[in-house]
Amino acid sequence: MARRLVAQLGLVAAAALCVAHAQTLQRLTVESFVLNSDAARPRVDVPFHLIVTLRVRERVPEIDNLQLPILAQLELLGDERQTVSGPRGTQYREVITVVAHSAGTLAIAPATLQAIDARDGKPKEWFSNPLTLEAGVPASQIIHDGGAAILAGAVILLRLLLVVIGAAFVVGVAILLVRRANRTVPVPPVTTPTVAPRPRTRAELIGDALVVLRTERTRAAATRVRGAVWRMLGASEGETLGDVLRRPGTRDPAVREMLVGLERSAFTYDADLQGAIEDACGALERYASALG
Amino acid sequence: MIAPTGPDDLRAALAKTIVGQESVIEALLLALLSNGHVLLEGAPGLAKTLACRSLAAALTADFKRIQFTPDLLPSDIVGTRIFDQRESSFATVLGPIFANVVLADEINRAPAKVQSALLEAMQERQVTIGPQSHALPDPFVVMATMNPLDSEGTYALPIAQMDRFLMKVNVGYPTSDEELMILDRFAMADTQPVRCVATLDDVRTWRAKAHDVHIDEKLKRYIVALVAITRAAKSVTIRSAAGATLRAAELIDYGASPRATLALAFLARGRALLHGRDFALPDDVRAVAAAALRHRIGFNYRLTTEEVGSDALIDALVAAVPAP
Repeated sequence: MARRLVAQLGLVAAAALCVAHAQTLQRLTVESFVLNSDAARPRVDVPFHLIVTLRVRERVPEIDNLQLPILAQLELLGDERQTVSGPRGTQYREVITVVAHSAGTLAIAPATLQAIDARDGKPKEWFSNPLTLEAGVPASQIIHDGGAAILAGAVILLRLLLVVIGAAFVVGVAILLVRRANRTVPVPPVTTPTVAPRPRTRAELIGDALVVLRTERTRAAATRVRGAVWRMLGASEGETLGDVLRRPGTRDPAVREMLVGLERSAFTYDADLQGAIEDACGALERYASALG
Repeated sequence: MIAPTGPDDLRAALAKTIVGQESVIEALLLALLSNGHVLLEGAPGLAKTLACRSLAAALTADFKRIQFTPDLLPSDIVGTRIFDQRESSFATVLGPIFANVVLADEINRAPAKVQSALLEAMQERQVTIGPQSHALPDPFVVMATMNPLDSEGTYALPIAQMDRFLMKVNVGYPTSDEELMILDRFAMADTQPVRCVATLDDVRTWRAKAHDVHIDEKLKRYIVALVAITRAAKSVTIRSAAGATLRAAELIDYGASPRATLALAFLARGRALLHGRDFALPDDVRAVAAAALRHRIGFNYRLTTEEVGSDALIDALVAAVPAP
């Protein structure tokens, strides 16, 4: 009797948990869910990228409950996520930088997504495609192998290439026929996204320079700040102040004052250093306020 | 209250007489501030002599001009001992080198022994005549003019002797506008004498100030690197007139001496002072690099056969060393 009661309570609790979990899930219409790699044959010890691309019809700020596959055979080096919402829905891209440390077949399980299917209101789990990659030996190791091995490898590669071309031709024809018959919306090609960090504005850079110079107040700091400001203006560190002042972007008197002030901080004698840094800070402030 | 005279006043006074030739005027001032000597090379008639004469006049300094000729003797420069029959003893007659500003005109027209007598005096700043040594006046600046070596009747100065000059300035032709101004100033009106703007004491004060100009550690390393690259310029390339890419090292027999390192530092200090600073900048070093190096590098025959200008090569060497 007591055992039965416990089992019933357990079922109720499990059902309640499922309902609670279902309530936290997003309501989504999944259009495509693809796992891809930018290297078909990644090299050992050479980083490559795995790209998870999910397209849903809804406009959502972010995608919850997306689980990446466990990458047991790979070392995870980095992870960048990008969610882009537009009138045609949301595209989520996650670029995972990984590296294989041993040659052989890499079986990568599919990524999963848990969500409520907007079409029928039921909680579901979606799976992307799995990936199977062949991690190749590094070029240096190939070079160490004998000429015969290279020749044999070349023959195998040639055969493989012929088979692949034949297969690709057959698959291509089949795809064309299917497309003509079905006219399905093609999955957008997955390209490696380059998620560039937002470049810092001049005002932010000058703000950073001021913080460094005010905090450290040393010649080394002044030299570093001088280098950073030069780079900001497009100059390289091998140039002289004269070269930098001849650049078209340095005609502004506030810029010139700042450059001259920083030059003085970097090269003046020790007794004048604090005064020079103070003047340079003043010039940086004036330039920052001119920037708004 | 009278404002103290500065090197800029001297520059302004010289510019009133000499049209253009800013590089020559600056070289004269730098030599004065750095206690060095200048070698001026250029075609005749480019105001080299006038510049030196004007400098002496602006400083109320003693000025002597020595015209170097093939028959000149060392005693014609430094002086000699003459037997006085009435006193029955030798009397010392000091030569024209005993002046604050000495113009050694066409120095490469005299034979080597005369050149070396002058150069020794420049280095030692004293002259020994018979048993007695005589100190040369202070300041003592030699401005030597030199005709281009391919001119007729010239003797090449050995590099070891050229090294004694703090800097070598190539005097170029004036622009058309400057030439028009020369015509107005010297042919159409009475030439105004140079106004005296400073004393020799002022020069000594400026020199002390120039000596105190700060050279940062980074700048010292830059100077050393600049001189070092003249000795090992394997990585530097330059284009010949025919468009061939040549390695700089193939055009150089030997690089600049440590005296070039010192000269770069002295000249950078002088230039910083001329620009109103008490600390030198990489721009100062770069601006004086060609003047300090061009007579100290042993270029070989390929420089001529490949039609590569020595200054273009120096520019390439300087550009190969990143400024701090």
